[in-house]
Amino acid sequence: MSDVLATLSNELAAVVENTGRSVVRVEARRRLPASGVVWSNDGLIVTAHHVVHWDENIRVGVGAETFPAALVGRDPSTDLAVLRAEGIRLPAAAWETPDDLRVGHLALALGRPGRSVQATFGIVSALGEGWRSPAGGLIDRYLQTDVVMYPGFSGGPLVDALGVVRGVNSSALMRGVSLAVPTSTVSRVVEALLEHGYIRRGYLGVGAQPARLPEAIAEELGQETGLLLVSVEKGSPAERGGLVMGDTIVGLGGERVRHLDDLMALLGGDAVGQERAVRVLRGGGLAEVTVVIGERE
Amino acid sequence: MSDLIQQLNSALARAAETADASLVRVSNGWRGQGSGIVVHPEGLILTNSHVMRRDEVQVTLPDGRILPARLLARYEDHDLALLRVDASDLPALPLGSSKALRAGEWVLALGYPWGVPGAATAGVVIGVGDGLPERPNFGSEWLAVDLHLRPGDSGGPMVNAAGELVGVNTVMAGPDVGLAIPVDVVKRFMKQALQAESKAA
Repeated sequence: MSDVLATLSNELAAVVENTGRSVVRVEARRRLPASGVVWSNDGLIVTAHHVVHWDENIRVGVGAETFPAALVGRDPSTDLAVLRAEGIRLPAAAWETPDDLRVGHLALALGRPGRSVQATFGIVSALGEGWRSPAGGLIDRYLQTDVVMYPGFSGGPLVDALGVVRGVNSSALMRGVSLAVPTSTVSRVVEALLEHGYIRRGYLGVGAQPARLPEAIAEELGQETGLLLVSVEKGSPAERGGLVMGDTIVGLGGERVRHLDDLMALLGGDAVGQERAVRVLRGGGLAEVTVVIGERE
Repeated sequence: MSDLIQQLNSALARAAETADASLVRVSNGWRGQGSGIVVHPEGLILTNSHVMRRDEVQVTLPDGRILPARLLARYEDHDLALLRVDASDLPALPLGSSKALRAGEWVLALGYPWGVPGAATAGVVIGVGDGLPERPNFGSEWLAVDLHLRPGDSGGPMVNAAGELVGVNTVMAGPDVGLAIPVDVVKRFMKQALQAESKAA
C-alpha cells in the first residue's frame, strides 16, 4: 500500500513549489520583507498595503535576485497594493474566487520574506457573506483559516489543495485571526487601481454617531436607529445640500441608514458626483434633502 | 474520501510509532526533564544542550529501563548534546536530510510535553535554513514548522512522513511556530563528537 501520508506530504510540497514560482519577496519597508503574488503575466503583482511603506525604490525578488517595481496604487481599506515589476518575467498564479470552498477544506499560506518560498498549512475555518473592514473597505466574502501567519507572509496567497490562489493573506485586516481578501475583491481592486491609481470613495463631510429613533418613527420606517450628525464640515457636500448638525440621517438614495456601516457602503466610488436623496429626522418629523456626493481626497 | 482519511490517520500513527520507538526521557535530577533520541543502537542519545543542566543525567529508554547517561559532547552554539548509555541493540531512528526538506512537507514532533510520554503533534515545514525571521539568539540554521512545542518536547525527534529524523525539537518562535535544529547540523555535530571521542580513546 502506498503511504498516503508520504503522498500527501509530497503533493503539498509540490503545490508549494509550483505556486511558489508566482510568489515574490516584496522589499518596501525597513524591517523584514513581505510577500506578493503575481496577478498577470505582464508583471502585475498584488501585495498587502500595510507592508508597502515606500512609494518609490520598491524591489521584488525571487531567490537572491531583486528587480525594481513601480507602485501602481494602493487601497488601505482592503489592505491591498498593486505593483508592476520591471525587467523580470514571472508566471501569473492561477486565481479563482473562493465561492466553492467549504469549511474544513485544506489550505496553505505561502510567503517569500526570504530567498525561498515558505508555507504554513491549515483548514478553512469560517466562510461568510461580505463584510466591511475596520478601514471601511468592502470585502466580498469573509474567509478565515487557521493557517499560521508567519512573519513576512502578509501579501502572500492563500491557496487551496490544488495550488489555486483563492485570496491574499493579510495579518492587518483583523488582529488575531488569519483572514484572506478573496480573489473577487482582489480583482475589483486591481481593476480600479489600474484605472485611477487609487480607490474612489464617496464623501459627505459629516461626523455622525448612531442614535435610537423615537418609537413612532422607528415603527414607520422599520428601523430602530439612524445616524445623528454631530458635526457638518464647512463647504462640504453635506452642508451644500442643506444637512445641519442635529439631523438624524435615516436613509440615503432610497436605502436605509441605521449605522455607520450602512452609510459607508452607500458612499462607494460609484456614488461620486451623483445626486442622492437624504432622508433625515429633523425637529421630530421626517424631511428630505438632496446632496451631491463628493469625492474623498 | 473517508477511506483516504482513514489511510492518512493510520499513516500518521505509523510515523508517530516509528519516532516513539526511539524516543527517550531525559531527567536531570529534581524536576527538569526533556526528551532525547536514540541515534545509534550502541547507546548514543541525542538531546538539547539546554536539557542537560548537569553532566550526569538519567535516561528512560523506550523499553522502560532507566539508565545513567554520560555526557559525550556539547555543541552549545546549536543547543545540542550527545550522551552515551551502557546499552546495545537500541532502536535507532534513521537520519534523514534537512536540506532535502521542502516547504509544505508534513512533519511530526514527539516528546514529553508537560511530562506526557510520547505525545505527538504535527505540522508542515515553513522553511529551513539561516534566513528565517524570529530566530532565537543562538544557532544559525533552523527548521521552522507550524506546530506547538511545549516544555518537555526539547531534545525530542522531529520526523518526516517516512519516519526519518529531520530535526531536534528545540524552541518556540512566537506563539505558533516551532523551531528545530536541522538534522544536517546534527550530523556535523555527531561526526565531530565521535571523532573527538575516538581520538581521546
